Amino acid sequence: MVTIYISMLGTLVGIPIGTLILILRRCGVPGAELIARTYVSYFRSVPLLVQLLLFYNFLPVVGIDMSATTASVLALGLISGAYVAEILRGVLGSISPGQTEAARSLGYGSAAIWRAILLPQVFRLALPALMNELTLMMKSSSLISAVGIAELARTSQNIVSTTFRPIEIYAVTCVIYIAITQILLLTGRVFEHRMNRARR
Amino acid sequence: MAQDMVSITSVSKSFGSLRVLHDVNLSVQKSEVLCLIGPSGSGKSTLLRCVNFLETYDEGEILVEGRLVGYDQSSGTRRLMRGSQLCAMRRSIGMVFQHFNLWPHMTALDNVADPLRQVKGMSRKDAHSKAMATLEKVGLAAKADGYPAALSGGQQQRVAIARSLAMEPHLMLFDEPTSALDPELVGEVLQVMRDLANEGMTMIVVTHEIGFAARVADKVAFLDGGRIVRCGPPREVLNSPEEPRLKQFLQTYHERSQF
Amino acid sequence: MSFDLSAIVPYGPALLSGLANTLLCWIAGSLGAMALGFVVVLCRLSPIRLLSACALAYTEIIRGTPPLLVAFFIYGAGPSFGLVLEPLPAGIFALSIHGSAYMAEIYRVGFNAVPRGHVEAGVSLGLTPFAIFRRVQAPEALVAITPSLINALIVISKETSVLSIISVPELTYEVQKMSIETFAAFESLFALAIGYWIVVSSITKAGNFLERRVTRHTVRSA
Repeated sequence: MVTIYISMLGTLVGIPIGTLILILRRCGVPGAELIARTYVSYFRSVPLLVQLLLFYNFLPVVGIDMSATTASVLALGLISGAYVAEILRGVLGSISPGQTEAARSLGYGSAAIWRAILLPQVFRLALPALMNELTLMMKSSSLISAVGIAELARTSQNIVSTTFRPIEIYAVTCVIYIAITQILLLTGRVFEHRMNRARR
Repeated sequence: MAQDMVSITSVSKSFGSLRVLHDVNLSVQKSEVLCLIGPSGSGKSTLLRCVNFLETYDEGEILVEGRLVGYDQSSGTRRLMRGSQLCAMRRSIGMVFQHFNLWPHMTALDNVADPLRQVKGMSRKDAHSKAMATLEKVGLAAKADGYPAALSGGQQQRVAIARSLAMEPHLMLFDEPTSALDPELVGEVLQVMRDLANEGMTMIVVTHEIGFAARVADKVAFLDGGRIVRCGPPREVLNSPEEPRLKQFLQTYHERSQF
Repeated sequence: MSFDLSAIVPYGPALLSGLANTLLCWIAGSLGAMALGFVVVLCRLSPIRLLSACALAYTEIIRGTPPLLVAFFIYGAGPSFGLVLEPLPAGIFALSIHGSAYMAEIYRVGFNAVPRGHVEAGVSLGLTPFAIFRRVQAPEALVAITPSLINALIVISKETSVLSIISVPELTYEVQKMSIETFAAFESLFALAIGYWIVVSSITKAGNFLERRVTRHTVRSA
């Protein structure tokens, strides 16, 4: 069940990464926006499974020696970062530009504007959408990476054709994951309720 | 003649192919109150926003306290000011917006205190006491811990004024400060502005409140189509208008206030 | 990193068939999801309490379940319920079921987004409920749901890759097979990723264009 831990950590790592991408996109440095948009476009277009498989195969090729856990967390962080960036971007757009103008007219520099005005509001407003997306990603990725790893274990034995006979194995995994996902679902909802009540 | 606080010379600006300001010339002395009036689209807000460089201007010069706004001409050619220079310049100019632009995630007190800490580097304690004092000045000390969402429009605008005022600016710009307010709440904001004027603050006010201009302004400038049509003391501009466009503009006001 | 394209050539047909299956799963799955979702939302909005509760339970459970799990369930646990399916139909069925929960929610939100006042105007003019639905609610709801709908379709296009795990012969599956046989795992997967990138971002751009066209008459909130 290490995979659950990995996916939780990985998706959470996505938050700071996503924030960085957001700032990169809006900072006004030439070329930064393009990089940010390309990043988001890539990581959101390619399916999760393919991303993970690619990542696992990518590291030996480039010669980076990383533990599987670190690699997975990093991969998931990068992927969820793209989704986080997109959600934050939508929310940022809903903050009236007048607030930035007021800050600028008072003499705030860009860093101060992000720190004191934009980011606090963006996170507050984006919380429900973020929670949603992250729980989804956590559930998908834990399942996929577990299976993905099993896949790799199998394929490395050079089994070519469909040998999905061990349905029994999957059935058992199935049941375990149903239980886990329902628990995650429930905890996610409870957390959200608490958050909403706190805000009222 | 003493140096003008604000000196606007031959300023022009275009948005793409649309010329919004044509060769504008204005000056404001220290402690003077200048009101900019005119129909929508006449360029008055744009002109105001050029003074603290929220909008760029293409030709001419705007000088505040003798320093060129937005551009750096020290090396002979005109270049855009660096970000840090702009920030420094804006510290002595205050601006009040039509839609208040208070920050919703901060209390009224924090809205006023935060700039003091971020921009002026004051300590938390000092910033708070200065902010409280300024809020008292605008009559909102009791609402210091309230969030903008819980305040009326008039209260929000007064907090906005306090936020700019706490920075101790030499010049304050008002961009239609009462246009977004319910008629009943306009009075409290105008009163605060009047008090500021009486205390000697240099103010440029874009407004539709002709009555305010008549009573408080030292100079009134009427803009139409990006040009200054008339500029002078309120008595002359408002009571004896000569230009047809100005007459027509004032006519609608007279009609609306008689019932 | 040697890039030997000649090794890939014999796999051409397999890759194309994989791509075809991916598109098939996507389109069939999307259509299934939209159709099934419509049924579900009718139940949800029905005045019969039991139906509404069932639909709600269905939506909540399925939305909380990752698509892969749904696929496992149908393909793997299906036989114990008497449902024996080949991988491909099982995959399409899984996408339809999973997608239907999302579609139902999208439909519901869109339906509720139609301003009450518009419906009341129809009533006051003497329109029958059916006419109101046809001429007022359906068109307006359609415009309201377009962005979410397009987004959901894009999500389904990505979910197809997960079906490779239950051996549906779609693109990811074929590429994996190829990568094992040619020992060029990295290059194959890299090409696969780029392939998905191109395809999905094209679909996304097309979706954005469509969305702008459909919503061009709506009032944008300031």
